Amino acid sequence: MTTTGSAGSKNNRIKFIIAGGLFLIAVLFMVISATRATAEFFMTVGELQQADGDLRGQNLRVSGAVIGDSIAYDPAANELQFTIAHIPGDMSDIQDSGGIGEVLHRAVNDPQNPRLDILYQGSAPDMLQDEAQAILTGTLNDEGVFIAEELLLKCPSKYEEALPDQVEK
Amino acid sequence: MLSIVGFFTLALAFLLAAYGLLAVIFGLVQKTPAWIESARLALLMIFPLVTVSVAALLILLAGQRFELAYVYSVTSLEMPLYLRLTALWGGQSGSLLFWSWLMAGFSLFFALHKWSRDADLLPWALLVVFFTLGFFLMINVFFEIPFERFWHFPDGSRVVSLLQPRGAWLLTPQDGQGLNPLLRHPGMIWHPPALYLGFTGFIIPFALAISTLAAGRNDRRWLEIARPWILIGWVFLSLGLVLGMRWAYDILGWGGYWGWDPVEIAALLPWLSGTALLHTNLLQARRDGFKRWNVVLVLLTFVLVIFGTFITRSGVISSVHAFAGSEIGSPMFIFTALLSLGSLGLLVYRWQDLQAGYEPAFGFNKETLMLFTNLILLSILVICFLGVIYPIISELITDTQITVGPAWYKRTAGPLFILLVLLVGVCPLAVWSGTNLARLSKRLRIVLPISLLVPLFVWLAGGVRHGVVLVSLWLVGFSILVMAADYIQQVLVALHKNQGNFWLALGAPVRRNRRRYGGVLVHLGIILMSIGIIGIEGLQQETQVTLSVGESVELSGVTFRFEALEHHEEEARWITEAVLSMSRAGEPVGALYPQREIYPNMGLAVTQPGLQGNLAVDLYAVLIDWRPISQDEATFRIFYNPLVSWLWVGSAMLTLGVVVALMPESARRKLERAAKSEVISG
Repeated sequence: MTTTGSAGSKNNRIKFIIAGGLFLIAVLFMVISATRATAEFFMTVGELQQADGDLRGQNLRVSGAVIGDSIAYDPAANELQFTIAHIPGDMSDIQDSGGIGEVLHRAVNDPQNPRLDILYQGSAPDMLQDEAQAILTGTLNDEGVFIAEELLLKCPSKYEEALPDQVEK
Repeated sequence: MLSIVGFFTLALAFLLAAYGLLAVIFGLVQKTPAWIESARLALLMIFPLVTVSVAALLILLAGQRFELAYVYSVTSLEMPLYLRLTALWGGQSGSLLFWSWLMAGFSLFFALHKWSRDADLLPWALLVVFFTLGFFLMINVFFEIPFERFWHFPDGSRVVSLLQPRGAWLLTPQDGQGLNPLLRHPGMIWHPPALYLGFTGFIIPFALAISTLAAGRNDRRWLEIARPWILIGWVFLSLGLVLGMRWAYDILGWGGYWGWDPVEIAALLPWLSGTALLHTNLLQARRDGFKRWNVVLVLLTFVLVIFGTFITRSGVISSVHAFAGSEIGSPMFIFTALLSLGSLGLLVYRWQDLQAGYEPAFGFNKETLMLFTNLILLSILVICFLGVIYPIISELITDTQITVGPAWYKRTAGPLFILLVLLVGVCPLAVWSGTNLARLSKRLRIVLPISLLVPLFVWLAGGVRHGVVLVSLWLVGFSILVMAADYIQQVLVALHKNQGNFWLALGAPVRRNRRRYGGVLVHLGIILMSIGIIGIEGLQQETQVTLSVGESVELSGVTFRFEALEHHEEEARWITEAVLSMSRAGEPVGALYPQREIYPNMGLAVTQPGLQGNLAVDLYAVLIDWRPISQDEATFRIFYNPLVSWLWVGSAMLTLGVVVALMPESARRKLERAAKSEVISG
């Protein structure tokens, strides 16, 4: 066993601190760069409409009520287009307004409600229907259309509630 | 009647825990051993009582006694017996009872252990156990009661109550709601119990650490007692995590095994700190160092266990695993806070007394490498914790919820996991203390060139061009070769000693030092598991297609042909099954049968992927959607998952390693002491 004197011990400890510190700085750098590149802002349709301009290129996550009449699928291009209507982002707000089913129903039928056009590469999942809740991940393009990379649907009125059907690109 | 027996044994167990807590406090204040002894006897009684309660609930579940609200909510007539029994942990109150029962089982240790040398630890350990166990029993007695029944009044109103309300009759539904179909899987038998055993097992090291701090001791005796229990808790936690991955892979149908779900992470956190603990534990056993590390890690691991339980059960986070909104959130929060603050306070109070008797020298030696291993493990832990709380914190600060997903974890925790693989390989090359570079370069000269053959082979034969994958696989090959070289050298020494009996020499190193080679096997298991993770993270191929019957699609050289779509009905479910035949360069290689099951009574659907695999690759298909029969068109998601089977092989190896390390050995202690003194003098 090596016994080190007080001077040696101090030196030894400094080596540990420097090596550990360098490692932690590297980790911190990694975390910051990963957060810049991949973190997603969870926003409502209303917030997106207000903030537009400064969100280009930012990873976004948005939740809204699917408007049934807007769903259009182009089989040749395998492209899916639809429009969602604003719903509150806060769970407790949704509960206060009579539950998610009621909120979705009102969101779709209120023409004053902010809306957002969605473009998605892929076929339409069977749960994509009027008054379904869509949770989308993607970016906003220059025309203000949301380019979805991931599409997650929930139907509160239907049995699928406990089992979100997930479709990824 | 049975429900009354079940409840009252549970209530009695709770009262005994409450009594035990008071008796210990009294005994400590008055310094009366008789009170402590009385508390010990009370603890001895708790496990049998909770066992009766669990048995009662199991009989009620097996007997389909739907008048019980719990039985009604988690079982139904068409469920087979094994699922009715596993429904014990299929809902909130039953799983809490199961949790308390396991914890009561582990707590028996404190009532049965011979404390002669360490009598001063017992009262404090009992205090911790009664407080923790008592809390969970209280939840079961006052908030989440698994024995409540349905009653109805003449006016038609219904209540759920333990005892018969005045003027009410027992209401017995014809059938229950049944277990969530996602839980109707053989994985249900093994995954939750393994995880719970891992969680609750950490009560022993935790209580020992707290008692050592509280009794004012700073020796390593507590670690000697706790070591096998740390290993047992750790291996069950590992198994629980792996079994959960396997379950997700088999049934959730997203082609992966790990989704960075907050609850998955909550179970990973104590595993990370527990793994760190296994390393510093070794260092304190060898020398008197790392005292603070060990105490901090034990406390942290158990606090994380409780934190994970809180996250899962309080409904603060919504996830596949979380139990639906419940009223136990506030008591669980208070308990978690008390336990954390109590541990922290005690630690701060006793910090100065935990001076290590030894400080490692910085250099290429095992101590330094282990310290870095721990730094990496704890960095991953902090990263994961940050990922879970990021949405909450960001919303508080910026008013916008910012979430991080799998891509974030892959970029932050991923490189650290790769670094761990490197360290596993490098560590056997280092010696205890000092730095022996001659030995290192001798080994590297052999191992390094051979290890480079691994990425070369993968590049040429496998056609892999993914840089990170090649580097990772190189590190894997390097680590395995280092372990193999080490073992071969030991065999050669043994061969020399016993004059050439090869078979005897082959097992000699393990026989001589089970603990060490148990550890080597565990590391080998981790390395093999990492092969599976590298395969799926780096080499997974997937495609989503809509096919008509007779059409086919190609993915990574395999042609998948949609042969047929069949519908049939089984007990309480409609099954739609697609048949995909597979061929490679014209040669048939089998078929996949992805299914979609619909439970019309429950209004739920479950996706069952079709899966066929070997050690090289898993072929995996999910039936997403289909059109009416006239068109016979269906949409599939098809995955090509290379190497993923190594994840399961590695976990079996890891378990074997822990078993080897724990195996009793008559002459072992003697040899160990000899080896230890040899190492220290050398």
